[in-house]
Amino acid sequence: MSELLRVTVDFDRSHLIFPTLIGGILILLGLAILLTHRRAITGAGAMWAETLAGMDKIRFFGTLVLTIVYFLLMVPVGNLWPNTGLGFLICSIPFVALIGILYMHERDARGLVPMLIVSVVAPTIVWWLFTYVFALTLP
Amino acid sequence: MAIFEFLTPMFVFLIFAGTLVGIIFGAIPGMTATMAVAVCLPLTYSLGLDNGLALLLGLYVGGISGGLVPAILLGIPGTPSSITTTFDGYPMAQRGEGEKALRIGIVASLIGGLVSLAALFFFAPALAEFAIKFSYVEKFLIIFFALTVMAALSEDMLLGIFSGFLGIFISLIGVYDVTDGGNGQYRLIPPGTEYWLESGFSLLPVLIGLFGLATILEGAEAGMPKGQSLKDIEVGAHSRFSWSVFKGQVANLLRSSGIGTFVGILPGVGGSAASILSYTATKTSSKNPDSFGKGNPAGIMASEAGNNGLTGGALVPLLSLGIPGDSTTALLIGAFTLQGIQVGPLFIGNNPMTWDSMIFAMLIANIFMFGIMYFAIRWLAMVVAVPKHILFPVILMMCVIGAYTINYGIMFDVWTLLIFGIFGWLMVKLRLEVAPFIIGFILGPSAEIYFVKSLESFGTLSIFFTKSWIAMLLWVLILGSVIGSALLARRKSRERAAGTSG
Repeated sequence: MSELLRVTVDFDRSHLIFPTLIGGILILLGLAILLTHRRAITGAGAMWAETLAGMDKIRFFGTLVLTIVYFLLMVPVGNLWPNTGLGFLICSIPFVALIGILYMHERDARGLVPMLIVSVVAPTIVWWLFTYVFALTLP
Repeated sequence: MAIFEFLTPMFVFLIFAGTLVGIIFGAIPGMTATMAVAVCLPLTYSLGLDNGLALLLGLYVGGISGGLVPAILLGIPGTPSSITTTFDGYPMAQRGEGEKALRIGIVASLIGGLVSLAALFFFAPALAEFAIKFSYVEKFLIIFFALTVMAALSEDMLLGIFSGFLGIFISLIGVYDVTDGGNGQYRLIPPGTEYWLESGFSLLPVLIGLFGLATILEGAEAGMPKGQSLKDIEVGAHSRFSWSVFKGQVANLLRSSGIGTFVGILPGVGGSAASILSYTATKTSSKNPDSFGKGNPAGIMASEAGNNGLTGGALVPLLSLGIPGDSTTALLIGAFTLQGIQVGPLFIGNNPMTWDSMIFAMLIANIFMFGIMYFAIRWLAMVVAVPKHILFPVILMMCVIGAYTINYGIMFDVWTLLIFGIFGWLMVKLRLEVAPFIIGFILGPSAEIYFVKSLESFGTLSIFFTKSWIAMLLWVLILGSVIGSALLARRKSRERAAGTSG
């Protein structure tokens, strides 16, 4: 028995021991889940169709698209004025405003004006705080 | 006096600000204490450890407490931990006793918070003292035990364990760090991504993605349901709150606080379990259990003392073993890492001042929480109606800042935020559990070191069973939690079967 449990660790390959072990356990658990949750897994297609049909597609995908565009633009815009954090400020104002408009229900002046004020003021405060008070770089 | 070295006006102000913001986060349905801490973490960079923790602990205490406001006034739990507060709080509000119900909840919250703080104060140093003697073998088993407890308390044990191991697996991506005794080799990195994944995914962007962005994505999926308008909120000024309502409830308050604290100490088990357990215990031990769910003040007391009992309890394993007690304390690990401090058995002994300052911060936060909520209850009721279309975009922006500044300006961390935001949203759909995943992700690298180094020194797997009596005890506990959970699941499914047939 004690011979069975004996292991020698080769230091050069020791970085693979734990990942292999965890990977193996994950595969075993995955198989167990496949067996015990057959019904849920075969019904996955229907679940996703239902989720897609029930979701607010414009708001959900709108959030994702706006976020990706925001991330992509931040660095190139910031490189125009290096080390000022202006890339963050310039991109955040329209981002906050657009997401706000996306999430609004009644897009009338009574709702829009406070939202637009917040979308200018909030990024500016944050930008000022991080750039001047905390002295941390923003894109 | 030593305490005045950290007890500065700034320290007190940060606790106040944290508690206030936390209450607001907690009071807005769909926003949680965890989210508040995630969003405010980047603010702690330049604050230093003591002041940063003051802010975060304020947020934690406030965030857990704020959930009772919408739970009572609208019947919607502001945070998952106040679900049981709705059972009796909302019926009271409908009877026009909203203010009375709120004040009962606030007092119970304070008591829960203080009881658990006392438990933290006495229990954490003792546990740490004991844990200092642990070798790598016991440390590895403790992590293993933490994961099984969490999985055992998951909705579905198999999926819970899977989530935990998935967290470990993803935490291993990157280099096997030389500073921890590794060999500096890469593993699990898809070819071509070495530049970004050299040191794996950073902890904080992962956490902010899972708790900030994922929540917003869920809200967007549901079409950002409109908040309540102020007209719907009835505080009910005609009801008089009097302290006599607590007569005969001391046992209830203490039991619920105790249950909350105990649940907090269990790793990875959140506030909803704390309040549900204490509510059930109070209901079953009551002389007239039928009055619960119809506006019995004792129900509010049990629920709120229970969920606030969590706050001190969840810090016990964090500060004595380095294992977070719930998802919010997992974020606190991030705050410690930012300051370059390792939490574990040595933490309290090596940082006595930080330990004192944390205890004081928790105490002051509880007092502020009580003061703010007790006297400003009418304004707080309005917070519930703050429109989400103003808050969520700003929170989204704060998430990005947090991710970007964590390693002083790495854009990949921002993309990590997005990846794990989407992943967090998917996890809910796939019924995977976020809490075990996070604990696995945080503890994975340590678990690896403890495991591999134990094998290197002893050369046999049997060492994990025979190292010491503590190791054997831990195995008993591990097996106990797995078997207990399997039995519970079996009973539940049998009850369900009986329910459908009958």
